[in-house]
Amino acid sequence: MIINPYSFGVAYDPDAQAFFTASGLTGATNLNAVNQLVLDLKAASIWTKMKAIYPFVGGTAALHKWNLKDPQDLDAAFRLVFNGGWTHSSTGALPNGTNGYADTFFKTDDVTTTGLQSYGVYLRTNPTFAVSTTEASTGLRNGIYWIRVTNSLPTTSNIRSGNRNENISGVTGLIGHSRSTATQWYVNNNSTILVGTISASTLTSETIRTFSLGAYNDAGIISNFSTQQLAFAFYGEPLLSSEMTNYYTAIQTFQTSLSRQV
Amino acid sequence: MIQVGLLTESQKDSLVGQLYDEDSYFNAIQDANDDWIISIEEMEFCVNPEFQWVKDLPLIDYKPKPEPPIEE
Repeated sequence: MIINPYSFGVAYDPDAQAFFTASGLTGATNLNAVNQLVLDLKAASIWTKMKAIYPFVGGTAALHKWNLKDPQDLDAAFRLVFNGGWTHSSTGALPNGTNGYADTFFKTDDVTTTGLQSYGVYLRTNPTFAVSTTEASTGLRNGIYWIRVTNSLPTTSNIRSGNRNENISGVTGLIGHSRSTATQWYVNNNSTILVGTISASTLTSETIRTFSLGAYNDAGIISNFSTQQLAFAFYGEPLLSSEMTNYYTAIQTFQTSLSRQV
Repeated sequence: MIQVGLLTESQKDSLVGQLYDEDSYFNAIQDANDDWIISIEEMEFCVNPEFQWVKDLPLIDYKPKPEPPIEE
């Protein structure tokens, strides 16, 4: 007997399939891109270190809200809740810079109480600034850890871990951060990895303020709204420098397969 | 200049905790004149039949409040 393997459809990774089932995502390009992303992150030993991965694929709020790591429609699963003005499309989720933000329900202490963690965003567009805004536009931020850009440094992003701020050139593509030990951090600036040191005394636990995407969230007071289109976001356990590099490669492959890479 | 929809106080109250589409909540904020406003996107993309009146809100130029300083 000859069995035609194609009659059984495409077999996806079980975690990718769970995401497809929960979200209702369709389209071969979308499904294959997400599936390959999951496979690449597992091969790079990054998958198990992540608490939340937002691939922003599908083009609607209903599809962009899902956490690939835990695709349940629950706050406890860090599913996004969009507030205010957003424009969703096949290239990602664009906050309007006026009142648009997304709550992740995620606090630093959901990873660790030591402050050791990783987080990052993939931003497709340059920021624009409201007239009265002196410091604005962020990809991902709570009160202690953030990625932001300022209009005084319009081509520079600022990453903060505890009390340490670091400026990097560039405001689009992958901007990521990992606090891997008490005294060492890494920063993704697309394919470039920066390494620095930090005082162990500045490690910070955060039990109240949640990360928001698209705005600054200071214990529920939302401000400094962003105008940069998001095409990926993540946070999780600390990553090594080599893992940060592999993460960039996997994300860029994912974005390229969706024809939205920068 | 960005335009936004002008709300009355009671209209603002009616939008608190309400969805404008299946997965997006209204977020009324105050502008520099302390007027309550929502964004053009919330007006345009609203599919909630209970709040179709937002599409008819008067439009005003958006004058944002000065942003609070971000702690360093």
